Amino acid sequence: MNRRDALKKSALALGAAAGAPTLLSLLQACAKTDRLTWTPVFLSEDQARFISSFVDFLLPKTETPGGLDVKADVFIDLMYAKTYDEAGQKQVVADIEKFNADCKEKYGNVFAELSEEDKTACFKGHEANSPKFPKTVWGGAVGPREPVGFYRGLKSTVLWAYFSSEEIGKNVLSYDPIPGDYLGCIPLSDVGNIWSL
Amino acid sequence: MANFNIDADKNLTYDAIVIGSGISGGWAAKELCEAGLKTLVLERGRIVEHVVDYPTMTLDPWEHELRGGLTPEQKAKHPKGGRSGFIGAMNEHFHANDLENPYTEVKPFMWVRAHQMGGRSLLWGKQTYRWSDLDFEANAKDGHGVDWPIRYKDIEPWYTHVEKFAGISGEALGLPQLPDSHFLPPMELNCVEKHVKARIEKEFNGRNMIIGRVAHLTEPLNGRGKCQFRNRCDRGCPYGAYFSSNAVTLPAANATGNLTIRPFSIVQSVVYDEQKGKASGVRIIDAETGEDIVYKAKIVFVNASTLSTTQILLNSTSNRFPNGLGNDSGELGHNLMDHTYRVGAMGTVEGFEDQYYKGRRPNGIYIPRYVNLKDGPQSDKFVRGFGFQGGGGRSGWGAGGNQEDFGGNFKDGLMKPGPWEFFITGFSECLPYHENQVYLNKDVLDKWGQPTLSIDAEWKANELALNDQARKDAKEMLERAGLKDIMEFDNKHEMGFGIHEMGTARMGRDPKTSVLNGNNQVHGCENVFVTDGACMTSSSCVNPSLTYMALSARAANHAVSELKKMNL
Repeated sequence: MNRRDALKKSALALGAAAGAPTLLSLLQACAKTDRLTWTPVFLSEDQARFISSFVDFLLPKTETPGGLDVKADVFIDLMYAKTYDEAGQKQVVADIEKFNADCKEKYGNVFAELSEEDKTACFKGHEANSPKFPKTVWGGAVGPREPVGFYRGLKSTVLWAYFSSEEIGKNVLSYDPIPGDYLGCIPLSDVGNIWSL
Repeated sequence: MANFNIDADKNLTYDAIVIGSGISGGWAAKELCEAGLKTLVLERGRIVEHVVDYPTMTLDPWEHELRGGLTPEQKAKHPKGGRSGFIGAMNEHFHANDLENPYTEVKPFMWVRAHQMGGRSLLWGKQTYRWSDLDFEANAKDGHGVDWPIRYKDIEPWYTHVEKFAGISGEALGLPQLPDSHFLPPMELNCVEKHVKARIEKEFNGRNMIIGRVAHLTEPLNGRGKCQFRNRCDRGCPYGAYFSSNAVTLPAANATGNLTIRPFSIVQSVVYDEQKGKASGVRIIDAETGEDIVYKAKIVFVNASTLSTTQILLNSTSNRFPNGLGNDSGELGHNLMDHTYRVGAMGTVEGFEDQYYKGRRPNGIYIPRYVNLKDGPQSDKFVRGFGFQGGGGRSGWGAGGNQEDFGGNFKDGLMKPGPWEFFITGFSECLPYHENQVYLNKDVLDKWGQPTLSIDAEWKANELALNDQARKDAKEMLERAGLKDIMEFDNKHEMGFGIHEMGTARMGRDPKTSVLNGNNQVHGCENVFVTDGACMTSSSCVNPSLTYMALSARAANHAVSELKKMNL
């Protein structure tokens, strides 16, 4: 049994233990308007819906593509599946469940189902309470460090998933795979957006 | 490039054997082959042919399934080297497997190893600086360690020799403590670096800030292309623009027709002939078949990288050398040094918001040592000194993780460059302490049943005092240069993080207190040479690789000359 099947089975077991679906949960199920348009390889449907809604709220479509347009959510699920060890995978599932449980407690529903106002309040609360990443030198952290927590960690992961995508890296940011020369001082207006690499 | 001759087994006898194919071994092989010696290079890992075996050299992030992320299986292979923060999916194949090659940390020590043809020459930082008599005379003057058996004048022609072939870019300054190399044109400083340079040099008499001197071509040389500013060096460079054994020395050695490389060769020991009173060859274990083979040669160069070289010598016991080859002094394994790492300061620079740069420069700035110079201010808190590396640039989307913002405007704002940031980080000299040591551990064996190393070394009061001053000086320089939001830092890394392991088989004038003589020959077994970092008698505060190159070329030419005189 692979990891995802195991999680699904245990989720089913928990559901069974809680008894038949209540009227309220059935109503909530009906209220779910966002159907997943992709099949996660690690996350459950509900967990994947959380990631997709987090990505969409953090990086919505504007004149430039949104996080969902470049499938940042799909990549994050793949990353959980292929780069996290079992302990890390357990932790991320627990973190998603806790995030949603907190949303339910404060706003009455899981994150994906919240109104724009409630999502904004939720993000603002986490921004205010999440420690910051340390500064880095040559890829290594320097100065004071404390764990940034799930919210800021996921935010950073979403940024990576978005900005490392081909659409953003090649077509939105300034893409120059073989610069050929180093010019130390040129007008920003000659370049525009940041270099993608 | 022609394929390398790897068919070693037909012939068990060579003129010379070189153990290891990294920076120093590559140079030894080139010089020996060019002098006409049939040379066998024994490489612990696989063959890595220039360009052909650089599978990730052109990959953009989205062309890799995990965009550079490592799988748990990959991470599990690097519990020690992974602490460096340098191992990612694009270079993981160039880092040794820690599980197959264990070592024991009596005190914490981070050891980065690269077990393939080219070794760490594929991964190094390319900072290349000459040492000076400030360094070669330091031990004699302040009494720490033993005196170097050479001075700057002895090595100067060999610096010239290797620089002209390796290709070093940089700016000549005429500083006595940091002699100029034969330079290709320097890389450019960016606008903020130029600004900070001007301010520091105005505010502080006797301090200089220059572009790093690096083994990257800024003009084509000997068929190698110039740097294209992709900054993907640790994947292997398709242009051969930076110095590596794979792109530079081994092809030159191969072109003579005198080179044989034998991959998958785990060196067990250097074989000592009791009758002849010298080494007769090298015993290896084939990493794939387990076969035990002895290769014979007139001379042996041990260039396995500092600690592995010493491991081989310690494991090379005989009646004459019961405690390891060349260990009459008892100093083999002792006096391990490194450079301190990640101590300094950073801040932001205002006023250049409409300026940017083009190209990913694999280089930064350098501030040469200015403390405890012959004619400068002397510290009463420490001996020796430190230099700084660093650089400036504009922050990118990565800064978004900390911004208390989200949504469409946030996203589009991250597409524009953020503030200019600038940092400097000190590299302090480490004194040679007898008690900082490695020794054989026969309780922990590697995959091939060989004893491994225990490493027992730590920073002491002088290094901590140097670091303290480097941090304070870094902050003061950035303050007086007008930076904002300045943060000082000292990561207090254990030894090994500098990835500049030096010592453990030091050169010296007296066989009673050193392992090697002034020509890098093992005392008492003069047809064995050690020219990698193990030979270093002190550590200076500047990067050591250029000095390994020069010492290797010098020793190889001495070996050829002695062979001709029938002295070996």
